[in-house]
Amino acid sequence: MADRTMPSRSPLPNRPMNDGIAMSDDANRLDGVAKVTGSAKYGRDVMPKNGVFVSFIRCPWGHAQARSIDEEAASAVAGVLEVEITGREGRYHGEPIGHIAAESLAALRRARSALNIEWDPEDADTEIGSPEASHDDDPDGADHVLEAVYTTPVQTHSSLETHGTSIDHMGDRAIIYASTQGTFSAREGMDRVLGMPQSRFKVVCEFVGGGFGSKLNGAGKEGLTAGRIAAKYGRPAWLFCDRAEEHLDTGNRPSSRTHVRIGYRDDGTIVGGSVRTWGGVGVAGGGGGVVMPSNRYDLGRIRKQHADVRFNGGGPRAFRAPGHPQGAFAEELMIDEVATATGRDPLELRMKLDREDERRSMYELGARLIGWKRRQPTGTQASVLRRGFGIGSTSWNRFPARADAEVVIHPDASVEVRTGSQDIGTGQRTAMAIVVARQLGVPLDVVHVSIGDSSLPAGPASGGSVTATNTSLAMLEAADNLKETFLERIAAQLGVVAGALKIREGDIMQDDRRMMTWQEACAALGSAVSGRGSRSRRSDRQYSGSGHSMGVQFVDLEVDSETGVIHLNRIVAIQSCGRVICRKTAESQIIGGVIQGLSFALFEDKLLDRNTGAMVNPNLEFYRIAGPADMPKIEPVLWEGNQTGIRPLGEPPTIPTAGAIACAVFNAVGSPVRDLPLRPDRVLDAIEGGRS
Amino acid sequence: MSERNEGISRRSFVQTLGMGAAAGALQGHAEARLTGQDEGGTGIVGPGPRPITLRINGNDVRLTIEPATTLLDTLRVHAGMTGSKEICDRGSCGGCSVLVNGALTASCMMLACDAEGAEITTVEGLGTEEALDPVQEAFIRHDALQCGYCTPGLVVAARALLDATPRPSLDEIKQGLSGNICRCGTYTNIFNAVLEASGQAPVTDAEVNRG
Repeated sequence: MADRTMPSRSPLPNRPMNDGIAMSDDANRLDGVAKVTGSAKYGRDVMPKNGVFVSFIRCPWGHAQARSIDEEAASAVAGVLEVEITGREGRYHGEPIGHIAAESLAALRRARSALNIEWDPEDADTEIGSPEASHDDDPDGADHVLEAVYTTPVQTHSSLETHGTSIDHMGDRAIIYASTQGTFSAREGMDRVLGMPQSRFKVVCEFVGGGFGSKLNGAGKEGLTAGRIAAKYGRPAWLFCDRAEEHLDTGNRPSSRTHVRIGYRDDGTIVGGSVRTWGGVGVAGGGGGVVMPSNRYDLGRIRKQHADVRFNGGGPRAFRAPGHPQGAFAEELMIDEVATATGRDPLELRMKLDREDERRSMYELGARLIGWKRRQPTGTQASVLRRGFGIGSTSWNRFPARADAEVVIHPDASVEVRTGSQDIGTGQRTAMAIVVARQLGVPLDVVHVSIGDSSLPAGPASGGSVTATNTSLAMLEAADNLKETFLERIAAQLGVVAGALKIREGDIMQDDRRMMTWQEACAALGSAVSGRGSRSRRSDRQYSGSGHSMGVQFVDLEVDSETGVIHLNRIVAIQSCGRVICRKTAESQIIGGVIQGLSFALFEDKLLDRNTGAMVNPNLEFYRIAGPADMPKIEPVLWEGNQTGIRPLGEPPTIPTAGAIACAVFNAVGSPVRDLPLRPDRVLDAIEGGRS
Repeated sequence: MSERNEGISRRSFVQTLGMGAAAGALQGHAEARLTGQDEGGTGIVGPGPRPITLRINGNDVRLTIEPATTLLDTLRVHAGMTGSKEICDRGSCGGCSVLVNGALTASCMMLACDAEGAEITTVEGLGTEEALDPVQEAFIRHDALQCGYCTPGLVVAARALLDATPRPSLDEIKQGLSGNICRCGTYTNIFNAVLEASGQAPVTDAEVNRG
């Protein structure tokens, strides 16, 4: 479980908590070596000997009834253990109607084909459509009214490690290797299907190949089905989706439609109006919310109504800042449309509308970095290549969550950080090591992290950007408790008063005199010493501070007015997150949020065939995700200002990107493209038709 | 056994059969061809498991697999080498990238039996914890990874790029890695890592606001 560590190039600076400087500027990700050499074991990589392979049988149409299924032929395929049909109706492409268990992946494939299912397709609804908006009267005090409809498509999470679980069943106990964002929630229901108390099995989740919100449902139906098969045969079981299944049935960012009717004055002041939103939730009962308005801007009095629309598609799940990117797209473009209609500069208008003084300072910095003064007024360019500049803003609250932590000093002088919660790629294990090393006063390279294991101290599921913010408080408390115990024992050995000793870069100091080295002190312990901590109101007060994260993004792009193709030049992303723990991984969170946002803006679209209801692009060549050649220069700026505490970072950087890009395209071509993705045909329509 | 190496490439099946049918049809097509013929004297084998020797990272590895098994499944399931990832299973994401006689290859698109006799290099063979490839070191230093699932494929692709083009321009890097997809969004750090691994200056680091 111990991580291999690239040595940090310098000891951590011993600075007070909230001085506005990163705890580590140069620490590398602790699991970097495991990841670049391929030795990191993800759940999907765990294929226990004598395992049973399992896969779902799924509906290939938007809505269909299975008329005939040749279970006998499938069961007769060599290596097939069982075929179970649990239903005959599929309400969306990819809905499971049963499963197959077999001795090998090849036998599974043969059995699926031997089923020879004959389907009777039925009519399928494939989209939100154009629901009528009944808006109230024009808002009071408006000189003009803007009425517009903004839409966004279904975006799939497309985690590269698909959903699934590998279960090592060992008779009276088991290890659950789940690809999950919730190591602890993945236990739920597993006791029932395994027929085993939670004390007899544990969930291990050291590495997760992406989740972005789609792996918050514990072990999911994949894990529970694998658990049932493992228990039935008393053998290990492995069930992971393939790429098509991942697109079809593991959640998505729901499609959205936002209809605004908003009043504004000649000076650009927005006086309010109505916003009606719809979210396309497939067969799910809800989850299609659209965060519009965001409350970042003063838009006067807004009457907001929302409705979820059902159709024949897989249901949504939380997706990195659920509801926000689609709402921000509508909000930012709407503001730019008002700015253009009133002859105002969108930057100037945001300085006026934005509710946060700190974000105003961010706009000033961003405008300088992107070169905002080169921006030409919207609709004034006639060249083939047209330059555009755009802005978006973001914010995220700090949410409390339960988190415990334990830190152990071993006699061999290593320090073990113990947290059961998972690192889904954010750099959580690295951040926790840095927090502990800094708080204890030891070099980073003696710290090892045990993480992603339900037998370790409990931590939150990684949703809502809560993992680092809450676990770090537990870690700080655990490190302080440990330091106190440790120094008491060392002081007793040295025959001095405990309060007289300090740890400085590992050395045990009394005043400015080194009493012992770290190795000597740990060896003198004789046995391990540990300290525990928890996230609580007390630790929150002691180590953190109130406050949320915020940011702004600026986009510089070019539009080819003959082809409609958008070329991104640069994106500047200014983001606060309180005290920066690890500069490299923090910048990576910002860059990653921007890239997912630009991919959402330009490319991604889960397309359902309107005749059959089947997804036409359940793969990675026609479901387009931004690739290397699509990259602009991305400049993350960690805004530290005078922010205190450890604040959330995972979600906010992906919120404003699509909106900022849409604003920049509007600036370049003179007409807004109100539908994502910003496909070339839509851009050309906007150029030719005025209003798209 | 020259017959073995001339025919069954998964890519040619895909081209013949059409994308949609390819994944399922591969199995049946290979079997039809294999079972329809005399096993003696033609060099045709299968469909049942047969012994195979692959040269992986300089070692001869003896395995027993069905002839219709892809190189990727052979590595992951049969040889227990899970560094190469199955992400799309149809050659469009680069997650399963290996070097076959030095050429960058999507191992999900090649049958293992077509790789017999070839030098196969997987991510596990590029470097070890004690002796990392410069590409791997640079990936770590530039934090060119997050969840890490695409990373092995990108490391192999970057190594293949630098073998062919020792000092690539930024545009050549973007083109050279365009067979790979990263979902967390690490591309710009990857560009910097490849620039550094080829002895070039990274794109100017992010401006740090200490205000």
